[in-house]
Amino acid sequence: MFDKILIANRGEIALRILRACKELGIATVAVHSTADDDAMHVRLADESVCIGPPPSKDSYLNIPALLAACEITGVDAVHPGYGFLSENARFAEILADHNLHFIGPKAEHIRLMGDKIEAKKTAKRLGIPVVPGSDGAVGPDQDAMAIARAIGFPVLVKAAAGGGGRGMKVAHTEDDLALALTTAANEAKSAFGDASVYLEKYLQKPRHIEIQVLGDGRGGAIHLGERDCSLQRRHQKVWEEGPSPALDAAARAKIGLAVAKAMQQLKYLGVGTVEFLYEDGEFYFIEMNTRIQVEHPVTEMITDIDLVLEQIRIAAGGDLPMAQNEVVINGHSIECRVNAENPVTFRPSPGRIQQYHPPGGLGVRIDSAVYQGYVIPPYYDSLVGKLIVHGKTRAECLMRLRRALDEMVVDGIETTLPLFRALVREPAIIDGDYHIHWLEQYLAGQQAG
Amino acid sequence: MARQPDDKTNAKFTSDDSALIRELALLLDETSLTEIEIERAGLRVRVARNISIAASMQPGVAAIAAAAPATSATATPSAPVANFSNHPGVVPSPMVGTAYWAPEPGAKPFIEVGTKVSAGQTLLIIEAMKTMNQIPSPRAGTVTQILVEDGQPVEFGEPLVIIE
Repeated sequence: MFDKILIANRGEIALRILRACKELGIATVAVHSTADDDAMHVRLADESVCIGPPPSKDSYLNIPALLAACEITGVDAVHPGYGFLSENARFAEILADHNLHFIGPKAEHIRLMGDKIEAKKTAKRLGIPVVPGSDGAVGPDQDAMAIARAIGFPVLVKAAAGGGGRGMKVAHTEDDLALALTTAANEAKSAFGDASVYLEKYLQKPRHIEIQVLGDGRGGAIHLGERDCSLQRRHQKVWEEGPSPALDAAARAKIGLAVAKAMQQLKYLGVGTVEFLYEDGEFYFIEMNTRIQVEHPVTEMITDIDLVLEQIRIAAGGDLPMAQNEVVINGHSIECRVNAENPVTFRPSPGRIQQYHPPGGLGVRIDSAVYQGYVIPPYYDSLVGKLIVHGKTRAECLMRLRRALDEMVVDGIETTLPLFRALVREPAIIDGDYHIHWLEQYLAGQQAG
Repeated sequence: MARQPDDKTNAKFTSDDSALIRELALLLDETSLTEIEIERAGLRVRVARNISIAASMQPGVAAIAAAAPATSATATPSAPVANFSNHPGVVPSPMVGTAYWAPEPGAKPFIEVGTKVSAGQTLLIIEAMKTMNQIPSPRAGTVTQILVEDGQPVEFGEPLVIIE
């Protein structure tokens, strides 16, 4: 097992990682920019190293600074969290070159799944159902219109180097295609440095359902059920729950098995999430995330497995915690991502949290690094914290969530708490009857009304 | 400096071992040490006092909010940083690494207290991953204080010297 881990991240996930390390008796090193001098995990860590000024490229993405911090603190492993360098295959390789463990998948799999075209090809090869689309990138000399017609409009133009909901443009009809192609390619070039795009069928009202997997790197892999993350705004998840209100046990077992088998064939190492669009009873692979995800607590609450702890154990050579037939899904869990944003305009609202009171009680969990008096810096994401609730049934979970949201106080900045208080009372949400466009349609309706 | 994960072979825990641990624990209490680690054939023992950054046993988030920002420890305990960060003559470290005052071991240091330096003159070397980086003075002046020791790990922004 590792003696000392460097946490190459910030905010709530850095605190999450620190907690797992402490429970394993592993010493912790927190690295931080000057803007995060007073971060909670920095205070709680055994050692801390300031690695740069606020901009991410000079601090949390600064590989030389991170390596130097590893060197002066003598760590044997690095946990990259999510975002930042967590899906940077080069970073994983550089760490390996320096005899440091990267707590995550093998670099080859990060690279494979990072290229969305290759990822789709791989999924297909491994028996995972995919969205009908162009066979690879659509080059300038190819007849994009012919390909789109074969798929059937509306089509989605997607950046090959994109992911996480970025770099996508819809072409509803043939007239929209040319503009969608050039816009998507330009955006892809500037955001990801690669203008390659591919086409996919645009599903009208799918749900976003993702499967959590865990692999030991030696051919053993299990799935831990699904999370329904259909409620999104601008492709960013806002509310996630598990199990999905749309799946029954048979559907879950079928897709779970297909995904687990694929991961076994890959000899996948660590945690990962295979994301699907689900419509009319059919699953369509969109991408795989080769890291721990923001919404991992939903799975933790219903399976009683500490995913970050398992990441560390498995990275240190450990076995899977259980066999597939020992995985039990218990009850229901919902997570709300509370952001420092105006709940109507979503304008970011960084600043000092004057009053902070997190909710408590049975089945309530807060994953947050804020505290009363904490100043949310303007340089990074706007996540205040994640409110995660568990109940024996979905109905109990919703009542508990309503209760917890009403207790929670975050004053001094604007937050999206009012949005969640409204959502938890919405009939469609209570019925579990929503899809990936539902939230934006709801918000547009609120603006108009 | 980075180590491979240890290959721990299974060893029987003997009464000699537990006596050793008791002795080490006593030694910790008697001295001002926070950690003792010894290694010999087939056995490595580490006995550590519970280290907490934010003073002693303050439970919960509320305590952290109420307390003044705690000073975080870097790899080697150093003098409180707060005093010098705002000094007008401070030269903060532009990078993470290990500070060396001489171009090589045994050589004469680049500067000492009282040295007059010009802008751009090399003050010290910060080494990271086997690369030696010469750190230039941001201005002309006299070195009035040297704040880090030779071979001390430094972080970004850490006060290195005062030049007035």
